[in-house]
Amino acid sequence: MTNYGGYMGRVVLLDLSTKKVSNYVWTDLDREKYIGGKAMASKILYDNLTGKESPFGEDNLIVIATGPLTGTGAPSSNRFDISSLSPLTGITSSSNCGGNFGYYLKRAGIDALIIKGKCGSPTWIEIDNGSFLFHDAAVVWGLKASESQAAVQKLLNDSHGKAVRCGIATIGPAGENLVRYASVISGERAAGRAGMGAVFGSKNLKAIAAMGDQTPKIFDPERSAAHRKKWVNYIRSHPLTGSQLPKLGTAGLVSTMQVRGLLSTRNYAKGQFEGFEAVSGEALTEEQLVSNNGCLSCPIRCTRMVKVDGKKVKGPELETLGLLGGNIENRDLDLICRWNYELDELGMDTISAAGTLAWAMEANEKGLWDNGLRFGQVDKLSQVFDDIAHRRGIGNELAEGSKRLSEKYGGADFAIQSKGMELAAYEPRRAVGQGLGYAVANRGGCHLNGGYLVVLEGLGMNVNGQTPRGKADLCMVMQDIMEAISLGGQCLFTSYGIVPGFMVDKPNSLLAKTVNAVVPCLGPAVRVINKVPEIACFNLPLIPYPYELNYTVGMKMNIGKFIRTGERSYNVERAVNARFGVSAANDKLPKRLTDVPQDPNNPKTRVPLEQMKRTYYRARGWEKNGLPGEKKLRRLGIKSW
Amino acid sequence: MVTVKLFGTLRIDSGVKCFQAEAGSVRDLYPLVLREIYAHDPGSSVTGKALQSCLVAVNGKQVSPRAKLRDGDEVYLFPAVAGG
Repeated sequence: MTNYGGYMGRVVLLDLSTKKVSNYVWTDLDREKYIGGKAMASKILYDNLTGKESPFGEDNLIVIATGPLTGTGAPSSNRFDISSLSPLTGITSSSNCGGNFGYYLKRAGIDALIIKGKCGSPTWIEIDNGSFLFHDAAVVWGLKASESQAAVQKLLNDSHGKAVRCGIATIGPAGENLVRYASVISGERAAGRAGMGAVFGSKNLKAIAAMGDQTPKIFDPERSAAHRKKWVNYIRSHPLTGSQLPKLGTAGLVSTMQVRGLLSTRNYAKGQFEGFEAVSGEALTEEQLVSNNGCLSCPIRCTRMVKVDGKKVKGPELETLGLLGGNIENRDLDLICRWNYELDELGMDTISAAGTLAWAMEANEKGLWDNGLRFGQVDKLSQVFDDIAHRRGIGNELAEGSKRLSEKYGGADFAIQSKGMELAAYEPRRAVGQGLGYAVANRGGCHLNGGYLVVLEGLGMNVNGQTPRGKADLCMVMQDIMEAISLGGQCLFTSYGIVPGFMVDKPNSLLAKTVNAVVPCLGPAVRVINKVPEIACFNLPLIPYPYELNYTVGMKMNIGKFIRTGERSYNVERAVNARFGVSAANDKLPKRLTDVPQDPNNPKTRVPLEQMKRTYYRARGWEKNGLPGEKKLRRLGIKSW
Repeated sequence: MVTVKLFGTLRIDSGVKCFQAEAGSVRDLYPLVLREIYAHDPGSSVTGKALQSCLVAVNGKQVSPRAKLRDGDEVYLFPAVAGG
């Protein structure tokens, strides 16, 4: 039970081995400290994992958590999070998804689901208004993501005698076959990263369907509705969320990244791809776009719908265009749209699949592993992806990811991963703050978990991407803010509204140029906010999230508390990962990015990681070993480990 | 003669992808770009102000809007973007 709005007040612990369902104690104090989503999941993992568990062991936990705004109609708020011990990285990790499962989990009266144990045989689970039914999954096992969801939907319709409205989260063949970067799919959206699908597969869990007729109460309906109206109008009028994302999607970044030397090319050997125009967002819009689509309650609608074999399907995002375009020297946009669809259907992360593939191409070229894969030779890759998902031939090895492969064959210097997770499409040698983020990110080489400084260093803004100055403090504050935004259940794209419109509309103006020049010098000021965020004991219209938590949930939230919650989330995840051996030694990048300048004539075009790491740990108040000490955890209200 | 390529929302809004022009500097290009856009779509909403707010790259490298141009240069014009 809860006195707050937004929540359903129930967290369920589900033991697959015994099929026992029980309530997990999660108090309003926990809600105040962790809000929901990823932070909630991290705290649950922190309280239950000792460091001795293994990703595919029965003792591993899956936590599927929503935020208090999920299902309330707040803009772009229907995301949910899946966290677990990752088979790709060996540490706890999380994956965020815009599919409708989270919305329907709340309709079923549940805020979060903790899954432990293992089913004796393939199983799918029905959650109907808080009641759990376990079904034999023999008829859906082996099916691709959309087939599996259609089959489960039909079984539900048949058993209920009517068309049932539900949200389904399923795995594809890749998850069943324990591909280390298998995803979980809900609708057409993926919880793509970190191999959460393989953890489902290891537990013989094919799918979960949730349904119900419960709705979260809104704490102050009138003020909440008034605030949302203003917020939606702002999102629609902002140049990024109201124009760029709806018109071009995330794919619109390809051209800018090309000009700025940020576009991963030839397994990150370069930052510019000669054939970028053929695989750009503009080409996607002009040649492939059928319509826009969006997640539930999202006014941005950035999804590109394209046609593959005459079927309307979700098109590729920027990361997929970059990594299956220039990074493997492919100029065929039709093929990228096809692979994107096939990878989703097989239930596999496009980023890790593409990153591993690029490494394998280079390993073959360098004579380390004779696998037949070559840059630019892309006609048979559909078969390779299918082989990965079914663990056939070289696919069985590619299913292990680039880190494990480089440990076996050599080539670690060009295995573009951090903590075992392949990097997204942003080449960090021209955006060194982004490089720092990739290295220190809790879940591994993730652009978002790393703080996404590239948005300042060449995308939304034009801050000097080669200077390390101020980047550690900015990285920390960006990580904490993005962390906090996701906890309510909201999409990070809403945060682009925080970038002042003039920076986008008038990037050549004196004001914009001054802001760009001053940002790296803001380190000391940002450090003060990082140390004592409570001084920001107010709210600003530019940062609408605390207002939403005030009006919808009834939490007394301000900017300072909001940032502190993000910091707490980041620290608790780091603390649980410390049990699995994470320390400063794991916060690293491949030598290609730290030791080899992107431009041979400019030694600055590499990531000066060690220097920035030290400043980052100091900014975080962590020990030299890169971990939060007892005092730090106590200050954040986290019990010592 | 330089080759001018438009990107981002500028290209989507105007419908113009690429054209060739004679210009000594990026600034000299702006009226030519506008002329091309209006020739393609007389009702286009793209303004000179929007054009001057674009970031500019010549031969793949970002430059100031004041940059000089040489015969054979390839000029990119693109609005600022974010987020993926």
